[in-house]
Amino acid sequence: MTEPLLAIRGLETAYGAVQVLFGVELDVHPGEIVAVIGPNGAGKSTVIKTVIGLARSSKGSIRFAGEEISRMAPHRIPALGIGYVPQGRIVFARMTVEDNLEMGAFLIGERARRRRAVDAVFAQFPRLHERRAQLAGSLSGGEQQMLAIGRALMLDPRLVILDEPSLGLSPKYVDLIFEQLVDLKRQGRTLLMVEQNAARALELADRGYALELGRNRYSDSGAALLANPEVRRMYLGGAGRA
Amino acid sequence: MSVRQLAVAAALVAAAAALPLVASEYHQSFMLQLFMMVALAQAWNLISGMTGYVSFGHAAFFGIGAYAGALLLQYGFPWWLAVVKGALIAAAVSAPIGLLTLRLRGPYFAIAMLGLNEVARIVATLWVDLTRGGSGISLSPALLPGLSVNYYTMLLLAIAATALVAWIHRGRFGLELRAIREDEGAAEMVGVNTVRNKLSAFVLSAAIPGAVGAVFVMYTSYLNPSSAFAASLNIQMIVMVMFGGTGTVWGPVLGAGIVMLVREFLWAQFPALHLALLGAMLLVVVLFLPGGVMSVFARRKRMRPEVITRESR
Repeated sequence: MTEPLLAIRGLETAYGAVQVLFGVELDVHPGEIVAVIGPNGAGKSTVIKTVIGLARSSKGSIRFAGEEISRMAPHRIPALGIGYVPQGRIVFARMTVEDNLEMGAFLIGERARRRRAVDAVFAQFPRLHERRAQLAGSLSGGEQQMLAIGRALMLDPRLVILDEPSLGLSPKYVDLIFEQLVDLKRQGRTLLMVEQNAARALELADRGYALELGRNRYSDSGAALLANPEVRRMYLGGAGRA
Repeated sequence: MSVRQLAVAAALVAAAAALPLVASEYHQSFMLQLFMMVALAQAWNLISGMTGYVSFGHAAFFGIGAYAGALLLQYGFPWWLAVVKGALIAAAVSAPIGLLTLRLRGPYFAIAMLGLNEVARIVATLWVDLTRGGSGISLSPALLPGLSVNYYTMLLLAIAATALVAWIHRGRFGLELRAIREDEGAAEMVGVNTVRNKLSAFVLSAAIPGAVGAVFVMYTSYLNPSSAFAASLNIQMIVMVMFGGTGTVWGPVLGAGIVMLVREFLWAQFPALHLALLGAMLLVVVLFLPGGVMSVFARRKRMRPEVITRESR
C-alpha cells in the first residue's frame, strides 16, 4: 500500500458552539478517486472546508504529502498542490473565461507558463475555448462548473477536491460533468469529491466514505458500497439510482 | 497599455508641462487643482475601484499629509522633503487603520472610513498645541515655493498616481485586486493573500493623498481642520471616478477633467444654479452610463472580441 497523499485522522470541527465533525478518518491515495457521501448535515462539505482551511479543526490532524496542514491559511493551500472546486460554481462572474483561468494560476509568476496552463485547460475543455472572451457570469451553470474545474487544474495539482460538482445542474450537464471527471480519472488525477448524487459518485469512485452526523459510518470500495443493501437504503434512497 | 494610449498620455503630459509658458496664473491655478483631483481620484480608484472597498473617508489622508506638510515647512524642512514625508506619514497612519477597517465589508467599511475622516477633523480641531485648532496654520510666503514648483509637483503626482494605477492594472497585483473585488472568498481559494493585498492597496492609496495634501498646503499657504478634512473632497473623489469609469486607468483622469471643466463653465454662466446643474449631469451619467464615460469606449471595443482579449492582458 502506498503512503496516502491525504490522511485525515480524528478530525473534529465546530462552527462556533455547533460541533459538526466528531473524529472523521479519511485517506486519499495517489491516483485514486474518493467519494464522500451522506445526507444533508452529515458534515461532508465541512470535511473539505477543513482541509482547505475555510473551517478550523479543533482536534485531529490533516496531513498532505506528509505535511501537517490543518492550521494553514486558505490562501496557502493551492501552492501545496491542492486544487479546489467550490460548491455552487463560484467563478469570477465579471471576468472573462480566460482571466478566470489565469486567476487559477496566478501563483505562477511567469506569464508564458500561465499561458501554457490556460492552453492545456482549453485543450481539455473546448467549450471554454469557444467562450474564452465571454464574461464568466454569462455562462450556463454547467459551463461555469467546467470553468471552476478548469481553474482548479491550472496549477497541475496533485489532488483535486470537488465540493458537490453536480449540484443544481440540469441532467444534461450532470452527465457532462461526470464525463469530465471520468476523463480526469483516466489521466491519472487524484480526486476527492463530495457528492449528493451518491449513486453516480460511487460508480465513478475507487473508494467511498459514507458519513452520518459527522462520523464515519461505512467505508469501502465504490462498488462494494453500491452493492451494500444498508448503504442503498440509507444513502441511495432505496433501490433505484438517485 | 496600447501604443495609442501611450501616445495620448505623452501628448497630454507635454501639453500640461508647456502650459505655464503661455497660460495666465488663473489658468495655471485651475490646472493645478485639476492635477490634484486626478491624483486624488486615482488614489480612490486604487482602493475602491480596484478592490471594491468603497472609502468615504480618503480626505483623512489628504488632511494628514496637509498638516504634516504644513508643520514640516514651519520647522524649516525643504518643500520636497515635506511632500515626501506627507506621503510617508499618511501611509504609516493608514496601515493600522486599514488592518482594522479592511475586515469590514461593503457599507460597513464605507461608514468606518467616513467616521475616520470626522475623527481626524475633530482631533485636528482639539489638538490646539500642534495644529492651532480652528484658527488654522498660516504659512509665511518665505517658506513656500512659487506657483510653478507647485504646478509641476502636482502634475508629477497626477502622472505618478495614474502610472501606478496603470502598472497595477496590467500586472499580477491588479489581477489579485480584481479577484478580491469580484469574490473575496474565491480569490482566497485560488491562493490570493487577501489581507496583504488589500492592505498594500490601501496604504498606497493613502500615500498619494498624503503627498497631494502637502502640495496643496504649499499652494494655499493656509490650512484649517475643515479645509484639510473636507467632506466635499471625499464626495468629489468618488464622483469623478464614477463619472469617468470605476476601476479603469483613464476613467479618473477623464472624470476629473470633465467634471472640473464643466463645473468651471457652469459656475461662470449660472452662478446660482451651477451645483444643481452639475448634480443633474452626474445623475444622467450614473443612470445611463453606469460604467462611466469610459464604458462608451469599452462598448465600442466589445464588438471586436479579439481586440479585447489581446488588449486586456
